[in-house]
Amino acid sequence: MVTRTVDLRSDTVTKPTEAMRAAMATAEVDDDVLGYDPTVFRLETEMAKIMGKEAALFVPSGTMGNLISVLTHCDVRGSEVILGDNCHIFIYENGGISTIGGVHPRTVKNNSDGTMDLDLIEAAIRDPRGEIVYPTTRLICLENTHANSGGKCLSAEYTDQVGELAKKHDLKLHIDGARIFNSSVALGVPVDRLVRAADSVSVCLSKGIGAPIGSIIVGSKSFIAKARRLRKTLGGGMRQVGVIAAAALVALQENVGKLESDHKKARLLADGLNEMKGLRVDPVETNIVYVEIEEGLHISAGKIVKNLEERGILVMDVSPSRFNSSFNNIQSVINNRNNC
Amino acid sequence: MVTRTVDLRSDTVTKPTEAMRAAMATAEVDDDVLGYDPTVFRLETEMAKIMGKEAALFVPSGTMGNLISVLTHCDVRGSEVILGDNCHIFIYENGGISTIGGVHPRTVKNNSDGTMDLDLIEAAIRDPRGEIVYPTTRLICLENTHANSGGKCLSAEYTDQVGELAKKHDLKLHIDGARIFNSSVALGVPVDRLVRAADSVSVCLSKGIGAPIGSIIVGSKSFIAKARRLRKTLGGGMRQVGVIAAAALVALQENVGKLESDHKKARLLADGLNEMKGLRVDPVETNIVYVEIEEGLHISAGKIVKNLEERGILVMDVSPSRIRIVLHHQISASDVQYALSCFQHAVKGGQSENGN
Repeated sequence: MVTRTVDLRSDTVTKPTEAMRAAMATAEVDDDVLGYDPTVFRLETEMAKIMGKEAALFVPSGTMGNLISVLTHCDVRGSEVILGDNCHIFIYENGGISTIGGVHPRTVKNNSDGTMDLDLIEAAIRDPRGEIVYPTTRLICLENTHANSGGKCLSAEYTDQVGELAKKHDLKLHIDGARIFNSSVALGVPVDRLVRAADSVSVCLSKGIGAPIGSIIVGSKSFIAKARRLRKTLGGGMRQVGVIAAAALVALQENVGKLESDHKKARLLADGLNEMKGLRVDPVETNIVYVEIEEGLHISAGKIVKNLEERGILVMDVSPSRFNSSFNNIQSVINNRNNC
Repeated sequence: MVTRTVDLRSDTVTKPTEAMRAAMATAEVDDDVLGYDPTVFRLETEMAKIMGKEAALFVPSGTMGNLISVLTHCDVRGSEVILGDNCHIFIYENGGISTIGGVHPRTVKNNSDGTMDLDLIEAAIRDPRGEIVYPTTRLICLENTHANSGGKCLSAEYTDQVGELAKKHDLKLHIDGARIFNSSVALGVPVDRLVRAADSVSVCLSKGIGAPIGSIIVGSKSFIAKARRLRKTLGGGMRQVGVIAAAALVALQENVGKLESDHKKARLLADGLNEMKGLRVDPVETNIVYVEIEEGLHISAGKIVKNLEERGILVMDVSPSRIRIVLHHQISASDVQYALSCFQHAVKGGQSENGN
């Protein structure tokens, strides 16, 4: 019999707080397609400022944030984008940049710290002299924090180096910053400094930041103007969208400050799990914990996941020997459950 | 100095009511991507039932509703879709079915009543024997009500005939039913009967129905399963989406019943405008009114629109001699009277310039 549920599957499961719900109910709204919705305008203005870019655009999901960014940078047919072989855009976005956007992906090996070797990135850039047979490289994508490597932080220095490389070859740089705030908090580096080298960033508000819906793309004014149009084309042009932008504004105020404690809880969990014979935990930098089941234990990840589920603990098995959990405001999640 | 604003540009401008806001604040939600959100699940179940289809899917906009539907029916490369030359998908959706979906459009002339001639549709269907040089026709799209023709209703009989034609040639039928409820109310035909012949329908909740955000696609279970996946790919997979589905559920309950009165106000406005010298109004069937400025008046539509704007009346000029007005439940009868008097002023300007 389950008395409480502890949902550690993802930080996307965060539910809106009372303050967010109140904000949604009283939000000032208008038709954001015919004109502009004042609340989402406030959110976009605020996010552009925080990220140190000229403009911002609210989108329904991180997938759309990345899709729009890649397609806008690569708007000429015959484009290629360089990205990590284990990055979210390549693995978990249905191949949309190609199937929807016609962009060719060229992957470079992701190291266990989420980076790609600079010389491997450079080697992947197409030589224009071969254009008769090559697509044209237009964009490099980084992911910060890098989820599949275990929520690893990319430093400002590394990001700047990739930015330099991009500039040297006249390429753009996009950062999938779904969890960029986690990175900023863990590194102790202001978020705008972290993404300074990027032409665009996609930031999730519905993950650790805790909003019910949405992501934000930031970039130059001209980039965002094109992005807005592509957003409409993809079907992301929402009308009185202030009702959800209001929740996101509250989330930004309430929850960025709580990310550090999510990281602490992740480390606490990791330390505890590491002491258990048969389990080995990857190094933890932010709010994601990967647990490897050592061979001697003879239980599959799937079995452990099922067993935990019976006790109300939800985690994800990512392979027969690996499961993960991610933290977001775990205390408030437990509290909400207890109140139900 | 503007004392009130009467926004007649579109029925998309409707703002959420108190009841919707309360519902949004208390909605039960969950992650609709990892699992399912209970409130949007209720909305989708409800809409499938209302429309007489197996399943439904909530999407952020009508554009995405149509895009997903066309791309799901035409998921094989080399597909062609037949649609009206003056329909919303073809004119106002950024050509997304092609630029995003790789589907080739073949247009057929829209008549002034929103239909396309059946024989012209049939003639547009590609002969499979020519496949070496032809794309493959897979889908026919109708739009009901047909916006650019003036919010015209397509009858159940006509829709059935197009459905028969589609079946005969092994094609699918999609209805852009952004304003399908307006059509149902105006014709006095239940909405599920109206769309019975269709394989899929896209229905807007953010227009006359008054919800802040969203549309619904309905279709078979297998169609909706594919649509859900494409929705994710396009970036329409929202997490705790119940917060907006809750508003849509309230909107469905509150506002379908008000559409008839939107149509009455549209007719009232149309009759009043028709009496003004220099204006000629197209026949009105639902909540959309098109006003033609007759040559003798010598004022452009743009000028009239600006003049009206100074008085707080917002309408759309669609050409130098044509204005579009759209009614919705947040326009009152007195707003309509006020709009008429403002039109009178604006038009008198031209009349006096003309020496009348």
